[in-house]
Amino acid sequence: MHVAPIPAILLLATTQLTHLAPVDLAILLLYFAMVIFIGFYVKGSTNTSEQFFLAGREMSAWIAGLSFVSANLGSLELMGWAGAAYQYGILATHWYWIGAIPAMLFLGIVMMPFYYISKTHSVPGYLQLRFGEGARAVSGVSFAFMTVLMSGVNMYSMALVMKVVLGWDINFSVWVGAVTVALYVMLGGLRSAIINEVLQFVLIWAGAALIPILGLIEAGGWTNLKAQIAVRMGSSDYMHLWSTLGSFKDNPMGVHWTGIVFGLGFVIAFGYWTTDFLVVQRVLSANNLRSARMAPIIGSAFKMFVPFFVILPGLLALVLLKDSSGHLMQLYPDGSDMVLHHGAHSFNEVLPLMMIRYLGPGLLGLGITALIAGFMSGMAGNVSAFSTVWTYDLYGAYINKKAPDAHYVSMGRWSTIVGMLISVGTAYLVMGAASIMDYVQELFSFFIAPLFGTVILGMLWKRASKAGGFWGLLAGTASSIFMWLMVLHDKANIRFMILQPHASADTILRVQAMAANLYRAAWSWLVCVLVTVVVSYCTRPTPESQLTGLVYGSTIIPDDGSTKIYEKPIFWAIVVATVLFALNLWLW
Amino acid sequence: MTTPHVDPSTEQMLSIWFFVGVLTFCSGLIIFGEGIYEFWHPPSTVLANLHPAFWWGMLMTAFGGFYVLRFRPGKG
Repeated sequence: MHVAPIPAILLLATTQLTHLAPVDLAILLLYFAMVIFIGFYVKGSTNTSEQFFLAGREMSAWIAGLSFVSANLGSLELMGWAGAAYQYGILATHWYWIGAIPAMLFLGIVMMPFYYISKTHSVPGYLQLRFGEGARAVSGVSFAFMTVLMSGVNMYSMALVMKVVLGWDINFSVWVGAVTVALYVMLGGLRSAIINEVLQFVLIWAGAALIPILGLIEAGGWTNLKAQIAVRMGSSDYMHLWSTLGSFKDNPMGVHWTGIVFGLGFVIAFGYWTTDFLVVQRVLSANNLRSARMAPIIGSAFKMFVPFFVILPGLLALVLLKDSSGHLMQLYPDGSDMVLHHGAHSFNEVLPLMMIRYLGPGLLGLGITALIAGFMSGMAGNVSAFSTVWTYDLYGAYINKKAPDAHYVSMGRWSTIVGMLISVGTAYLVMGAASIMDYVQELFSFFIAPLFGTVILGMLWKRASKAGGFWGLLAGTASSIFMWLMVLHDKANIRFMILQPHASADTILRVQAMAANLYRAAWSWLVCVLVTVVVSYCTRPTPESQLTGLVYGSTIIPDDGSTKIYEKPIFWAIVVATVLFALNLWLW
Repeated sequence: MTTPHVDPSTEQMLSIWFFVGVLTFCSGLIIFGEGIYEFWHPPSTVLANLHPAFWWGMLMTAFGGFYVLRFRPGKG
């Protein structure tokens, strides 16, 4: 999801880190055999469009919830954020906590009823119901385009990691991954993708949880770890979540608490978790309203513990990872001279390095299988979302509106294959110019923040008109692209985004790309909201009768069937929010 | 687009948890076996003396075994 650092430069590494033993290969082959079997097994129950694209809307809250959180738990994120933890310290945890949990709870409690009651098949589909064809077209085209590109980026990243860690040929990894994913998504649609996401979730926990456990044993416990990090880094700043965010200069990321709270916690997180169809599609597969509301809440509870096996290994590596001479290993940024010319490892290699440190034969196979499952799940999530948006919101809406249902299922299967072929093309494109990968990540962020502005106004504000929604979305997206180009042209322009026109060169230098993204997202969301409001007041409101089931105040939310307190989604949302609050206080 | 009703035959499908059980049980068994072997041939990893493969493999086998039994076909 949101702008994780990507191991692009691993491309240049020439030596593999380890190799797999026969027991490792046995575990890997077992996983591949199982996912292909599942594809063939569920094919018989994906005969209608509802079954193929929305898994028949019969998933329980637990399955939809695990799939929801798993769709985001790709290996790019795992490796990238472990590297970010090594680089920036515990601040990286914000992307898992304030940068996810409140948004997930908001989706479950406030937004899910509207998505679910409207019976929409996709987020662009909701925009069509609320704001008309224009908004759907903008959202559908940009989403379809981005998902196949992202799938290609995932594919290439997997091949790259397998090359660096295991010495596998890139072409072999690209094609094995592409054929396997295309096969099981084409056969089983979303149902197959969801089953594999749940498997991937279990594999990641099983494969990665041992690293922090053994790491903490070796470090002598949490208190000793904190003390050792403070000694190595010369300060305790690396282990505080909030106390260093009062100024851009006081923390390694160069970020201010306003960026974390408003840019990340509000705009980016809410944009991603509540409007990105890739994750919302998982919740739409729930079997009733209560399950649909509980799924994001269950997902958020698990999400809260992901830093245990992503962030903690990065922190442990700071004081435990040693080179062959027994000295503490120093990792460097991707693309640095040390990585390119002196054989040093980059930040993004921290997770594989920790795996190799602790995991012997068998366990290493499990860890590698978890990484591969994460990559394949990322591809499957993108391709299944692409085939749904293409079939429902582009093909079914503009090209062939009145075909029989079986035709759309067939189109879904074919678009899966075509989407995967485009992804393979993207993977090879990225192979030719690694910087394209960073641009694709940036492109994705152009659409998310403004889309959240449009959807949230659409759901909560009756007066938002069709023209308002369309022009707001367009203006927000354009403003995001404009700001990105502005900073690309001259990094000093960041000073306008952080509202410090007289910022010193040192401050500008300290603001990392990740922090700049937070402010770009916040501004583009604001532009979207302002334009939507102004245009809405200048145009005719949508008749109340057309807003039923779509907007707060015009919709009677049906009872979700929960009677006892512990059955109510709001109860569990409060429990999760309380634990989150306590964890933040503990690591303040 | 029209959306027909869900095919009731899908209700008879194997549970997702059954697949989870099979995968963790089989992987756990392989790792557990490797863990036993490592008592005599320890790997060169850090903290190998704690026999992580043996204990983790045992845990996964038990977890997977429980899910296989609990969600086996025909269990209802």
